[in-house]
Amino acid sequence: MLLEVKNLDKFYGSFQALKGINLSVKAGEVICVIGPSGSGKSSLIRSINQLEPYQGGEIYLHGDLIHPNREVDKLRQEIGMVFQSFNLFPHLTVLDNLMLAPTQVKRVSREAALAKSLALLKRVGIESQKDKYPHSLSGGQQQRVAIARALAMEPKVMLFDEPTSALDPEMISEVLNVMKDLARSGMTMVVVTHEMGFAKEVADRVLFMVDGEVVEDSMPESFFSNPKTERAKLFLSQMLQR
Amino acid sequence: MSRNLVAAKLSKACVFLLGTAVGFTLLSLGVGELLSILPEPIGSRADLFIEGARTSLYITLYSAIIGLIVGVVMGLSSGSSNRFVRGFAWIYVWLIRGTPVLVQILFVYYAVPALFPSLQLNEFWAAVFALGLNVGAYNGEVIRAGIEAVPKGQTEAARSLGLSKAKTMRWVVLPQAIRIVVPPLVNNIVALLKDSSLASAIGLLELTLAGNRISSETFLPVPVLSTVALLYLIYTSAITVVTHYLKKIMRWA
Repeated sequence: MLLEVKNLDKFYGSFQALKGINLSVKAGEVICVIGPSGSGKSSLIRSINQLEPYQGGEIYLHGDLIHPNREVDKLRQEIGMVFQSFNLFPHLTVLDNLMLAPTQVKRVSREAALAKSLALLKRVGIESQKDKYPHSLSGGQQQRVAIARALAMEPKVMLFDEPTSALDPEMISEVLNVMKDLARSGMTMVVVTHEMGFAKEVADRVLFMVDGEVVEDSMPESFFSNPKTERAKLFLSQMLQR
Repeated sequence: MSRNLVAAKLSKACVFLLGTAVGFTLLSLGVGELLSILPEPIGSRADLFIEGARTSLYITLYSAIIGLIVGVVMGLSSGSSNRFVRGFAWIYVWLIRGTPVLVQILFVYYAVPALFPSLQLNEFWAAVFALGLNVGAYNGEVIRAGIEAVPKGQTEAARSLGLSKAKTMRWVVLPQAIRIVVPPLVNNIVALLKDSSLASAIGLLELTLAGNRISSETFLPVPVLSTVALLYLIYTSAITVVTHYLKKIMRWA
């Protein structure tokens, strides 16, 4: 197992956002986490990356127990994260957004970081914007830069927290295409998303969460054509009406 | 960040600082010329006005530098995860902001040497340290607010890439906070120039005390004190103009 989550409990005050979540991710697997808002999807992947404290349970990467607050920086180098709101660094050019972490954290030489960054920008189809500042890019372009920025650290796993939810409809597909391409290249991915088409097409497994629990964990074909729970049926019918 | 960009920013900053220094020197020369051609009682006392104005500007310059250093330390301390560091910053700001500047100047000049005889400062340096420590508390609040104004997502993005807390501060948060804090910091410098007049209370011959002396020697308070006020106005306006350009060169968005 590349990534394992065991009995994860998370509380906001007295409210329990995650109730004993278990999740195992094999190398190369693409897992889509779906569910109604407030079901704990984002809390789950933010906890994996230690951006949120959790009160119970363990997370393992390559079988090593991750200690909260210890060696967190090292862990995060191996886990890439893409946010709903992009969170590009507005004071740095696109290229510098990509080069900051490799040069500062991994001490990669500038030449190597530059070559790698240019290749990544080319991969996400945005190399012509390399010297621009993020604010002059469209939302879709910004999110593609954010994906490239995370990839620049050569992570073992990529976490996506609703990567297309803040985008205008016409820009969603350009980001999804980059993600599909990434999935096909063998990247291990955990994706919180409302894009059912994407989940159907690229997910190896679909996790359906409600009220802080994983209600279904199944193959996409069986989940979308034949959901086991009433809650999932209701959710899917509501998503189809959109 | 690319090396060229850093070099470009540094050279821009140097040109800016040099320009500001030259600008203020020329302004002072111009003001001196202007005063010397004015009728009595100003023209014959132009030297004293200029000497006073120069002292006021130097107090402002040195205390602004001290204030900036103290402000950065306090601003970072008040966001520290160590509660003793945070507590110290809180007490410092509380003491300084809760007491009058004039009392602080008098304290540094008269009370500190009575407590610690080796810390006997002359009028100039007593005023500089009192004002610098004072403005440092206000700067600290400005810098803390500026750091807090940088969206949390920026820190999360940086940390999720593996940057340490310190590197996140250095490369992501501070560069963005600087843009937010420059205008209020300059406001504090303008306030500092005006507050430097309080140094007259310990007998330092800065602009206000110079004006006061000339006024009581000549029995002509209206033209003399108007000239004093006008000189403050010229320099505070000049500082505001400098900020305008400073904001321009710091633009990226």
